[in-house]
Amino acid sequence: MIVPVTVYIPAPLREFSEGQSKVEIEESPATLAGALAALWILFPGLRDRIATEQGEIRQHINIFIGDEDVRFTGGLASRVPAGAEISIVPSITGG
Amino acid sequence: MIGQMLGHYRVVAKIGEGGMGVVYRGHDEVLHRDVALKVVKKDSRLDPTAGKNLLQEARASSSLAHPNICTIYEVGETNGELYIVMELVEGKSLRALIGEMGLPAESVLRYGVQIASALVRAHDKGIVHRDLKSANIVVTADGLVKVLDFGIAKRIGSEVSQGTTLMFDSQKEPSTVSGTLTYMAPEVLRGEGADFRSDLWALGVVLYEAASGRLPFAGRTTFEVSSAIMREMPKPLGPPVPAGLWAVIQRCLVKEPMQRYRRAGEVQAALEAVQSAVIVSSDAGVDRSAPATTVLHGVRHVQVKKGDSLLLVGTTKGAFLLQSNAQRKRWKVGGPYFHGQAVYAMAYDGRMGQHRIWASTQSIWGTLLRSTDDFGKSWTNPQEAAIRFPSDSGVSLKNIWQITLGRPEEPNVLYCGVEPAALFESHDSGETWSLMRGLFDHPHRHRWMPGNGGLALHTIVVDPTESQRMYVAISAGGVYRTDDGGNNWTPQNRGVRVMFMPNKYPEFGQCVHKIVMHPNRPERLFLQNHWGLYRSDDHGENWNDIANGVPSDFGFAMVMHPRNPDCVYVVPVESDEFRCTCDGRLRIYRTRNAGASWEALVRGLPQKGAHETILRDAMTADSHDPVGIYFGTRSGKLFGSSDEGRTWQKILEGLPPVACIRSAVVEDASVAARPRLRKTSSRATSSATSSRRKPRMTNKSRKKRR
Repeated sequence: MIVPVTVYIPAPLREFSEGQSKVEIEESPATLAGALAALWILFPGLRDRIATEQGEIRQHINIFIGDEDVRFTGGLASRVPAGAEISIVPSITGG
Repeated sequence: MIGQMLGHYRVVAKIGEGGMGVVYRGHDEVLHRDVALKVVKKDSRLDPTAGKNLLQEARASSSLAHPNICTIYEVGETNGELYIVMELVEGKSLRALIGEMGLPAESVLRYGVQIASALVRAHDKGIVHRDLKSANIVVTADGLVKVLDFGIAKRIGSEVSQGTTLMFDSQKEPSTVSGTLTYMAPEVLRGEGADFRSDLWALGVVLYEAASGRLPFAGRTTFEVSSAIMREMPKPLGPPVPAGLWAVIQRCLVKEPMQRYRRAGEVQAALEAVQSAVIVSSDAGVDRSAPATTVLHGVRHVQVKKGDSLLLVGTTKGAFLLQSNAQRKRWKVGGPYFHGQAVYAMAYDGRMGQHRIWASTQSIWGTLLRSTDDFGKSWTNPQEAAIRFPSDSGVSLKNIWQITLGRPEEPNVLYCGVEPAALFESHDSGETWSLMRGLFDHPHRHRWMPGNGGLALHTIVVDPTESQRMYVAISAGGVYRTDDGGNNWTPQNRGVRVMFMPNKYPEFGQCVHKIVMHPNRPERLFLQNHWGLYRSDDHGENWNDIANGVPSDFGFAMVMHPRNPDCVYVVPVESDEFRCTCDGRLRIYRTRNAGASWEALVRGLPQKGAHETILRDAMTADSHDPVGIYFGTRSGKLFGSSDEGRTWQKILEGLPPVACIRSAVVEDASVAARPRLRKTSSRATSSATSSRRKPRMTNKSRKKRR
């Protein structure tokens, strides 16, 4: 049985996820890069808003797998366990 | 005389006649320009020594290049006719303008500052006017003062006086002699000769006359006049003459030369101080009055009709559209659009009957180019960013600093200047964009240094006459020019100083803040540098300092007048560290002589405690006549002038920090928007995942999707 991975979409990006706050991917991506690649294909408008044209996560966007900030778990190469919940969280910035 | 040649000057028409001789309009057959020809009267001809002196002085005076001095080109002699060739100035003499009641204080100060400025230049060169008087000062239609006859009038005048009258009691030419007498300083009357301070005395007489309509020292006979000059005090001038102006006049008219101002520059500074005080007091109500604006709440849209004026205002937290009619007195505000996103570049594209507004948006979600064809009611929000660096470049787009239209004959062409410094072009009205590799691969690129705002290509200037030529400005890389459509770029920074580098004049690396060009003079560019105001007359090959009379040559914004190629606006700021308007006074400076001099435009702008910053793109001009000038501050105020900068009003306040302003006059708002070109390229398919099997959503997600 495939346990879907859930990606939580922040409010400012929901116009590119057809209004959904939570997207479940019926895949079993091994890494964050694979999970995001699947997400881009479902919702192409998300890609350029979350990643740069060089394929890096934008500076002020944090991605968590479960409770772990991927910055400390290997970035895009971080492992995604089955049934994981991936959160896309904008940084709290000043100004 | 009409029709005759004097040297290579053809005598065209008689303009006037004075004590010295007859003045003609002439035409220089070699340089093809109109000139004034002063033919010296036969009976006032000089002895050989005096003639030599005249020549020497005229030569010296011809070196006085100053916007407020009528330039002497040449002194010549043909067939026994001695003549002086000078700049043809069209206007009215100050004498004729003054009238019986005198001029408003504002005009007296404006003209006085310019006359003093002319004296500053002449005295610096060691030249004394010797016959400054209201009849020798011409005011042109646009308020520019020109002082005539520097260094020659009195030379000839004194010879005439000595030759014909010796004493000032001539019955033959009473008006000439007495007219001059009334401006004479006591020491000149005593026979001690004229020097710089006797010119300042004469300036005092001119200011008194201009403020009151009468001369300070008068009399029925020359004896009475001389006696008044030597012994009497002028009748005090009260309101409406400001006390400060009267104080300046009094100090010019002190009998003892050593107690007068020491230099013309001191008089100029004193007049400027009075000028700003007058403006502060007379405009005190402006700041307190409500802005002439209808502020709309929430995201509202403006209604636009044919002929309306639009202001596109980009701030660090969104964009606003302001609409007004051609009078530009009241503005309605639409927006904010792009809540919370920084809008550093906007543009209006009215080519081919469209009315498309472009904006760049920057946020944590990246930088995108957006557009609207219905004045903001709907904006594009593309799925993917059209402006993107290729993967082999190794860099990512940080911001779009400039959106520039291509030439009128290329209505589908657009350019974007971005950070990190690079140039993108589109040939399909902004649907697809490509990096201009010629500049990106330039060997200098790795040695450009980011400025405070990042390493940005912020200015693009397209040469309207040479289809392959354009300029870009990079902070801090300098100015680069291409002559082959973008394949090759050469640095164009000769003469532009870099304060912060060991080598002050490097080939590139200048922190240029803005360059502008007038389409009718494409060989000429103006440049506001990080310290330094410059002009180039040779396509940017060489730059010359034109910071003549600005309180600081540091600044960001620079705007070209749309019709007058000699007219440029800048906003000097105090220092690199402070970067606010000098002395807490919000002053826009304008040149109307291509940088030979600058004048402060302050009426209606706060002159106390105004520590404002105007960013490089936060000032613009519209295409109306008279031209409207607009600027926004980092403190969120928007000011506008509908009379070329003469008077200003606060249009709006309380905006987020203003990053850019552009203006537009809507030709025909009813024309249907041009259909957007169908996307031809499909960058999405090039992504690494495109060939893979499409991932599936769970049933739950799919259901929601429906």
